[in-house]
Amino acid sequence: MYDSFRNFFVMIELELRRLRHDRTELYFRAVQPILWIVIYGPVMGTARAIPTPGNISYTDFITPGVLIQSTTFLCIFYGLMMVWERDSGILKKLLVTPASRYATVIGRSMASGVRAMFQGLIIIPVALLIGVKFIPNVAYFVSAFVIIFFASGGFAAISILVASFMKTRERFMGIGQAIIMPLFFASNALYPIQMMPDALKYFSTVNPLSYVVDAARGLLITGDLSNLLIDVAAIAVFDIVLFILASISFKRIIE
Amino acid sequence: MEDAVDVRNLVKVYDGKIRALDGVDLKVKAGIAFALLGPNGAGKTTLIRILTTQLRPTSGDAYVFGLDVVREGGKIRRLVSYVPQEMSVWTDISGYENLLVYAKIFGISSQERKKTIDEALESMGLGEAANNLVKTYSGGMVRRLEIACALLIKPEIMFLDEPTIGLDPSAKKIVWEKLTSFKKEYGVTVFFNTHYMDEADLYSDQIAIIDKGKIVKLGSAEELKRSLGGEIITFSLTGNNISEASLKKLRELRFVRDVIVGKAEVSVLVEDAETALPDAIEILRIEKISPEKISITKPTLDDVFLKYAGSRLETSGRISEVAHVRDMIRRG
Repeated sequence: MYDSFRNFFVMIELELRRLRHDRTELYFRAVQPILWIVIYGPVMGTARAIPTPGNISYTDFITPGVLIQSTTFLCIFYGLMMVWERDSGILKKLLVTPASRYATVIGRSMASGVRAMFQGLIIIPVALLIGVKFIPNVAYFVSAFVIIFFASGGFAAISILVASFMKTRERFMGIGQAIIMPLFFASNALYPIQMMPDALKYFSTVNPLSYVVDAARGLLITGDLSNLLIDVAAIAVFDIVLFILASISFKRIIE
Repeated sequence: MEDAVDVRNLVKVYDGKIRALDGVDLKVKAGIAFALLGPNGAGKTTLIRILTTQLRPTSGDAYVFGLDVVREGGKIRRLVSYVPQEMSVWTDISGYENLLVYAKIFGISSQERKKTIDEALESMGLGEAANNLVKTYSGGMVRRLEIACALLIKPEIMFLDEPTIGLDPSAKKIVWEKLTSFKKEYGVTVFFNTHYMDEADLYSDQIAIIDKGKIVKLGSAEELKRSLGGEIITFSLTGNNISEASLKKLRELRFVRDVIVGKAEVSVLVEDAETALPDAIEILRIEKISPEKISITKPTLDDVFLKYAGSRLETSGRISEVAHVRDMIRRG
């Protein structure tokens, strides 16, 4: 147990060290979300076609959604990268260390959360620059990032689960897109759930991304925390279920 | 003393059809360098992965220092170091940081960590490059870093899967000098896979030849070579295959111990080549076979391999392929 916890923190430290040497990936990945909030948000906002809660500006409304889309994207690819580590010897070597293989799966998944938080920190200043009004409350801000961190692990685990069914790296790009885009568009990231057709509404209630966006939007922009407990509970369930499934499917990755 | 490795009737079947190991029996004494020699697909890597608790055997038993690989995997993982065939370090952090991460995973205490890492780096000749990113390392340096990593915990046994694949001869030599001195100093058992004849010959105390998932012969390099007899006469043939009848006649010659048929060649094992050669040539002449070339050699491990596994180890294609893959991984 102690070994497993230690392993978990070492994986996070490893991620911080990699980031210290090279953050280029994060800068490039920030381009897309920045385009959403700098161009798409203001343009769509002038159309006033989408009702926003509390009449906040449309760009303010989508900022948390776009932020989380970009961190989720990163985590999905991070999980796929673990399968790439299978092709190299890293995963094999990690399996021959005293820590349990479940700690390896969960530790590696959560390490993606470190990357995700840094990604968020790159996007926030840009959002501030174009005038997105964040709630000036440090506790809220920190809470939002903690939630993003924990949710990230679950998304990385989704991709480990999916990747375990694949044998080649060439399929990664396509599969990454195929996971993230449905999650993004069938969530409350760009429009309130009330606007969706019924079928999509149902999907959106089981879409983990919706809960993460809802929590982040409440904490960063609207200050409406009435759903926060439900959001956090949903994310916790999501993480636990995905960690279990990914750990089971991990056996397939090893062989 | 307890055997370092004890394997009984081990079978591993992948996906219900590929029989990678087909009843392996093997005992390896503690404190020796042990080579598992065999061609690609013989089951070498599978055996190492089972012994390092990565894979479960389909049937049979395997013990490392008396610990069962299935039930006591956790205990085994505290005793062993493992260097996989593929590259197993992170290239986007420094050599020192790689070892630091593993030192923490292995639970080396914070007081000892720096000293242990510095020692491991120094012993592998990486002291100066310690703080450079691994992506700037050469293939040989990466391999030495991986071995340094395996030396962090003073293991009871090291499992090395093709430890010098794709390395140039001088890098190969350095790696083996370090491994040999480490073995002497700490009494570590070194269990390695290889398809390099010379490596098994020079650096192992014992060799097992594995082919098609079975151990076909076990012994020291000397024993294996001696088992073939005094000398080998090899007839290189072009095109014309030798008939069973003439093989039989060759085998019946007085001095001949065995006749091994290879690809475009026939090897005749004899006590003394000079006395046996005239008779052997006579038989070939009657059969209207004119050898292109005749050579007389002392047995090598390659001949041993040919005798027990039925083919020569063909290495060249495979080496360049793996070297290429490692290269690609390094470049990211």
